[in-house]
Amino acid sequence: MNTAPLSGHRCGRPARRALASWSALMLLLAGCGGLPTATAPQAAAGGGPTAAEKLYAEVNGMTGQQRRDKLVPLAEKEGTLDLYTSMTSDVADAVLKAFEGQFDVKVNLYRAGSETVLQRIVQEQKAGYQGNDVVETNATELFDLNTEGVLADYDSERRRMVSEAGRQQGWTATRMNLFAPSWNTGLVTPDQAPKTWEDLADPKWDGKLAMEISDSDWYLTLFKYWEKQGKTDEEINKIFEGMASGAKIVKGHTVQGQLLSAGQFSLAASNYSYIVEQAKAKGAPVDYLPYVQPVIARPNGVGLMKTAKHPAAAMLFTDWLLQEGQALLVKQGLTPSIVEGDDPLKDVEIIPIDVEELTKNGDEWNKRYDQVISNGEQVDGN
Amino acid sequence: MTTASPAVSARRGATLGWLRRLLTPKIAIIVVVAGLIGYLALVPLYYLIWGTFFDANGFTLGGFARAYGDPRVGDMIGNSLWFAVGAAVLSLCVGTALAYLNVRTDVPFKGLFFAASIIPLIIPGILYTIAWIFLASPDIGLLNKLIEPIFGPAFFDIFTVWGMVWVEGLHLSPIVFLLMVAAFRSMDPSLEESALMSGASRWQVFRRVTVPLTRPAIVAAVLVMVVRSLESFEVPALLGLQNGIYVFTSRIYFVLRSYPPDLAAAGALAVGLLVFALIGVAISNLVGRSGKTYQTVTGKGFRPRPMELGKWRPVMGAVIVLYFFFTVVGPLLVLLYTSLLKFYQAPSGEAFASMTFDNYRQLFDMSDAMTALKNSLVLGLGSATLVMILMAVGAWIVVRSRIPGRQLVDHLSFVPLVIPGLVLGLALSFVYLRSPIPIYGTIFILLIAYCTRYMPYGMRYAVTSMHQISAELEESAQVSGASWWQTFRRVLLPLLSPGLLAGWIYILVVSFRELSSSILLYSPGNEVLSILIFEQYENGQFTVLAALGVVMVLTLAVLVVIAYKLGAKVGLRQD
Repeated sequence: MNTAPLSGHRCGRPARRALASWSALMLLLAGCGGLPTATAPQAAAGGGPTAAEKLYAEVNGMTGQQRRDKLVPLAEKEGTLDLYTSMTSDVADAVLKAFEGQFDVKVNLYRAGSETVLQRIVQEQKAGYQGNDVVETNATELFDLNTEGVLADYDSERRRMVSEAGRQQGWTATRMNLFAPSWNTGLVTPDQAPKTWEDLADPKWDGKLAMEISDSDWYLTLFKYWEKQGKTDEEINKIFEGMASGAKIVKGHTVQGQLLSAGQFSLAASNYSYIVEQAKAKGAPVDYLPYVQPVIARPNGVGLMKTAKHPAAAMLFTDWLLQEGQALLVKQGLTPSIVEGDDPLKDVEIIPIDVEELTKNGDEWNKRYDQVISNGEQVDGN
Repeated sequence: MTTASPAVSARRGATLGWLRRLLTPKIAIIVVVAGLIGYLALVPLYYLIWGTFFDANGFTLGGFARAYGDPRVGDMIGNSLWFAVGAAVLSLCVGTALAYLNVRTDVPFKGLFFAASIIPLIIPGILYTIAWIFLASPDIGLLNKLIEPIFGPAFFDIFTVWGMVWVEGLHLSPIVFLLMVAAFRSMDPSLEESALMSGASRWQVFRRVTVPLTRPAIVAAVLVMVVRSLESFEVPALLGLQNGIYVFTSRIYFVLRSYPPDLAAAGALAVGLLVFALIGVAISNLVGRSGKTYQTVTGKGFRPRPMELGKWRPVMGAVIVLYFFFTVVGPLLVLLYTSLLKFYQAPSGEAFASMTFDNYRQLFDMSDAMTALKNSLVLGLGSATLVMILMAVGAWIVVRSRIPGRQLVDHLSFVPLVIPGLVLGLALSFVYLRSPIPIYGTIFILLIAYCTRYMPYGMRYAVTSMHQISAELEESAQVSGASWWQTFRRVLLPLLSPGLLAGWIYILVVSFRELSSSILLYSPGNEVLSILIFEQYENGQFTVLAALGVVMVLTLAVLVVIAYKLGAKVGLRQD
């Protein structure tokens, strides 16, 4: 009974039975339960404003010390803040330390890549789970979150100091990531270094230029910029084709920076300036200055959750990040969204990424960029 | 009660007796284990199937069109197969040869084996691959510089399909090694000895006796390897893309990157892999099922004894040392070297002069480094132990029982292998966000994720060992009056222990690297080591990352050594 006799070659029946039970299983699965991937009703969007939204509305009208005086006791009474962010850990550690040092509020930090932060919030909101009070991440993901209807309106005098591109519905820019070409100074002399983006298409860089596989937002923005400058689609395609021909494709900006300082290639088309700056500060033979212009900026921002459990802490953190936090971000080598006093980038032309276009037609641009880098062949204009 | 008619009470008595017979520990254990395996596999499968075939408007096959409709899909499948089969063959040859030499011969330097076999597994994929770029890139490779005077410049080129096969094959070979060590341990050497006695050469013995006897293990290894390499992303992403070599998984990466993630397309690709994998499982069971042929652990007493290599002993010793230097010392030295620098640069006097322990200091200053190490240990030990216990029973159900539909248990346990980590994370968060039991936001959700992810490996290790053990041992235990549970615990478990231990070690080691579902599911306070790795990577702190890699190798190497020392005390003894 307990031990099967050696079953020899009786595979016909079990196999058929297994097949039958498989199909039964599939039917069962198809029959029960709801659609896990269907869009659930937006959490807390129905009905009136949430308690958190009421607080935001009240405080949005306040300014200066009065606003602080209102928020601090409330936030300290709440005691904690649940923050989801895609800030790198060194920056996040510095931000947390400063914020917790100034206020009696404990910050619970969840940190992941921006796509994961987005996924997590959407999952939680759909299930009606109040995971976070505030989110700090990339523009694209914030735009998607706002489309999902989970972000609340925020206003303050600090917000009004942010440039227009950084004042979006549901979120406010806190800092910029800058895309610029960078090069290995051991392999490229200052004379040879690129002066314009068009220079990257020069055949002299064939086999020496690295492009990153997911930088379609950089591609889109540069494409649109050149369109505005009066270049035809054909001309623009030709430039990108020139860059891609013989280009080494890498995945990840960190790897790109690492291999650049190791000399695996001479020039990186679109790395973040802060990654190159960090390596340079440690003595690696890399540089990105003087900037090839226009510098392309990807905004990162902060948004308040409608369902926040700790709305006062969330609002205080947002206020703080746009005020005291800005100087701290500068100290971390980042580019703040509010420029006060002497602007180190005042002579540099900066264009922000067209977040709206990216969100609307991102897939299309992904595909086009994918095609550009995979074979450098002609890509149809719009 | 007294008013009940005799007929009714008789019927009730019969029902109760029937129930009592059903409620034996044996049935209860089987039902619980099969239920758990089904549950773990079906949660993500359900999510994936819905996402693949249904959208807001009902049934659709649009995902398949998007996944397979790419004009380059032909090239991609070609590259993928070349890469996957190549890596599988390489890992199979390397893993089997090392396992055979280690278990069955008197080869020297046995101490090096476990290092050689386990270390590539411990080093995170991204570090292992980058270490190989530093070693064998045509532009900056150290090996190329070293042999340039003899072979000319750029002799090795890691950015080719062969380079990808090499790195992936070596990185995967420990899985085969662990599987084959268990298989060879459970093999009666008298069969080989008789063949030798009858005049066969050593090579003939290996080819005609040893290999056929371990066929279930070999089939299992090939199956897992091919599916694993078809899914692997780090190696193709870092080595293939540079020269435009695209593989299947690059598609999964792209379709999951957009928002909302194109689950339908990712699912369509996963379903393709699933079909392939299930055919593989069916074949492996067919091969294993032909019964007694592979049962090497029988009622006859034997003690595995190493074979004498004779004049080949020094040659094999040299091969081992060479292999060891090439696959372990090389990459590990690169890591160690990088971890002492401020930024990576080719070795020079200047580079050596700038070396510091700053990266290690930074590592230990990290507030959550200790928490993460502790959590990773708890999760690794927990999931490895749970999975191997479950799968030991699961393998018994699949191989020994005559329960209808037992094959389903095997198929279900294999399902998670083809489910992308992110999809698993999404599925689990979907379910446990709605569960009344507060699992979401605790470390248990990670434990469930790890058990699900590593169930397929556990099952392969357990089933393979089970195929080798003859039913007559169980039968004699039962004839002597042992209950099913006693037989399982006192006879089967000890005999299975080499395979179970191998699976346990594998799961422990790879769980330290799990990122794709952990990153979505962790919560503050439950960070694990792989998340620290990801953070350092995002920060661009490659040198700190290298230091973290070195620390991980040391930690896990100690654990594995302890496990083997303990493992040597149970199961089959060697002379």
